[in-house]
Amino acid sequence: MALSPTPAPPPASNPVLELRGVNKSFGAVHVLRDVDLSVYEGQVTALVGDNGAGKSTLVKCIGGIHTADSGEYFFDGAPVTVHSPRDASDLGVEIVYQDLALCDNLDIVQNMFLGRERRRGWVLDEDSMEQIAEETLAGLSVRTVSSIRQRVSSLSGGQRQTVAIAKAVLWNSKVVVLDEPTAALGVSQTAQVLELVRRLADNGLAVVLISHNMNDVFAVADRIAVLYLGRTAAQVNAGEITHSQIVELITSGQTEAFGPGAGRNGVNR
Amino acid sequence: MRAAPTQEDIRRQNLGALLRHVHVLGPTSRARLTAGMGLNRSTIGALTTELAAAGLIVEEAPRDTSGGGRGRPSLVVRAQSQRVYVYAFTIGVDRLVAARVGLGGVILDRRELQRPGSGFSPKEVAEALGGFVAQMRLSAPHDGVCVGAGVAVCAMVRGSDGTIPEGPTQDWRNEPLGERLSAAIGMVVMVGNDADLGVVAEHTRGAAVGCDDVIYLHGDVCIGGGILSAGRPVAGGDGYAGEVGHMVVNPDGRPCRCGARGCWEAEIGEFALTRGTAKHTIGGLADAAARGDHDAEEGMRRVGDWLGLGVANLVNILNPQMVVFGGTLREVYLATAAQVRSRLNRTSLSVTREHLKLRTAALGDDAPLYGAAELAFARLLDNPLESGLAPAAG
Ligand SMILES: Nc1ncnc2c1ncn2[C@@H]1O[C@H](COP(=O)(O)OP(=O)(O)OP(=O)(O)O)[C@@H](O)[C@H]1O
Ligand SMILES: [Mg+2]
Ligand SMILES: [Zn+2]
Repeated sequence: MALSPTPAPPPASNPVLELRGVNKSFGAVHVLRDVDLSVYEGQVTALVGDNGAGKSTLVKCIGGIHTADSGEYFFDGAPVTVHSPRDASDLGVEIVYQDLALCDNLDIVQNMFLGRERRRGWVLDEDSMEQIAEETLAGLSVRTVSSIRQRVSSLSGGQRQTVAIAKAVLWNSKVVVLDEPTAALGVSQTAQVLELVRRLADNGLAVVLISHNMNDVFAVADRIAVLYLGRTAAQVNAGEITHSQIVELITSGQTEAFGPGAGRNGVNR
Repeated sequence: MRAAPTQEDIRRQNLGALLRHVHVLGPTSRARLTAGMGLNRSTIGALTTELAAAGLIVEEAPRDTSGGGRGRPSLVVRAQSQRVYVYAFTIGVDRLVAARVGLGGVILDRRELQRPGSGFSPKEVAEALGGFVAQMRLSAPHDGVCVGAGVAVCAMVRGSDGTIPEGPTQDWRNEPLGERLSAAIGMVVMVGNDADLGVVAEHTRGAAVGCDDVIYLHGDVCIGGGILSAGRPVAGGDGYAGEVGHMVVNPDGRPCRCGARGCWEAEIGEFALTRGTAKHTIGGLADAAARGDHDAEEGMRRVGDWLGLGVANLVNILNPQMVVFGGTLREVYLATAAQVRSRLNRTSLSVTREHLKLRTAALGDDAPLYGAAELAFARLLDNPLESGLAPAAG
């Protein structure tokens, strides 16, 4: 028999990242209430919820931009404290925020290394950076950019998203969180980004995908976590739920199939 | 009783296995080959020396960027992709592709001809592909070796002799495609169904690597299925298995090309199976739906629902680990996944879908082309030293 080029990741057993009972308030506004979230290697976990449900806030707690008021953060099963983006990225947790934060006047390579060159204590020359950038994009089977020395301002929305994602996986990350990566894209660019998202997980990463588009969610998700008014309404396998049930969970926090009161403890597999 | 294998049999088998490893995995260190093939280092060394002498591989020192490694690094074995190649073709209803594909699965050169709406007669196919090969030969290296040719065709293929009983268009009847193409390009051309070859390609170097129970669905005017079960192709008695497009999902439904009613491909409809940028494609439909066009939304919903229903039936029957959406179905799946998944989750048995993965073709539209190349390389990989070294035809 042939060697297997990339051994398929074993079925997820324990979450690589887990939040338990997270609360976050801004002044009097209680935005996250006892939120739970489990994220597994080799899987795409979709995080869905209405506008204002608290998805981006939760992501900022994961990424260390916000510090939760209370609750527990586990990484590889061990409790950790994440008080800054640096703490998160030291664990291997990378976030691609809604606004991407790419520099238009720099090229792809410069953007991928922006702010990172000296962080890990070693300085890279241009050739090595170029080679690593190229290998990272090739490893993700990205063939849509013609030159990695192209300025980011000349890229399409989908290509910009691709560069931001490649930047996030450059440093052997273990968890990558993508906040609405397809929001501004047309049909064919959305398809490419979705395939990239799927590939990240198939390469062994744990991926969290935020999207309002249920086709995107069902196209790539293994699990779906629903936030409703700052609470975890459900965490379910994508193979066990329908579109209309997810819509019910998003709009009312519960769905008949799981019985009334299927709150944070209702569906948790 | 068969006689025990001779030394020569074993050597030939090992040569083939090693070449196949390098062909599939890309540049591979001797150390990894030693571990992966379960042979000792000196045997691997002897095999690589022979394959190198035959011009099929090269060995080189690893490109090491970090530097300062301890000990002698293991040589890296690489296929001679530029020198050793096959011709691979695809015949779609309205699209022909010809490519020169190097050992290792590298497309070195490719040509394409589209004729939306009308299609090609067998004679036109042979002329066009023969012309493409003549062009591509000019750019092949002088010391190049062509080791085979294969074609993926969007039609049923009789297993025993590669005859096409009917289709893709009406002037195809009991077409001896292999013979016709062999005459046109001056070498033997192996024939396979496009979806059957698509599943081989995705399993070898695409989305389904390491996954031995796979259904590959190829959309292109019609819907074809390529099935692997326990790593083996499901061919059927005469080679016609996998005509999933004619699975009846709605007995009183829409008339199908085949004469029946309510076949899967007829119900999914032309939107899903039309290629290009016209409004009558899934892309056009999805764009219109995104702009709030209710008819388009309804159309999308229906396409996704039918797609999910058919997949549910297949999943219940075959219990695959993975379903791969290829050809036009790639975009259809991504654009209608909420419907596809919902219908699948409501209709299939929970145990048959428990470990199911839904993926798009990693090789994109080219999956059948790569599969045709695998078909063409098969003879070389079975017996590298005897069949590999015929001089390039022409
Ligand atoms: N820094 C802040 N100060 C005060 N309130 C905030 C702050 N950040 C977020 N909020 C509030 O928290 C709630 C959740 O916002 P968040 O951005 O997390 O929602 P979301 O689920 O990401 O929504 P969307 O889908 O619109 O992106 C909102 O009511 C928002 O106004
Ligand atoms: Mg948000
Ligand atoms: Zn039919």
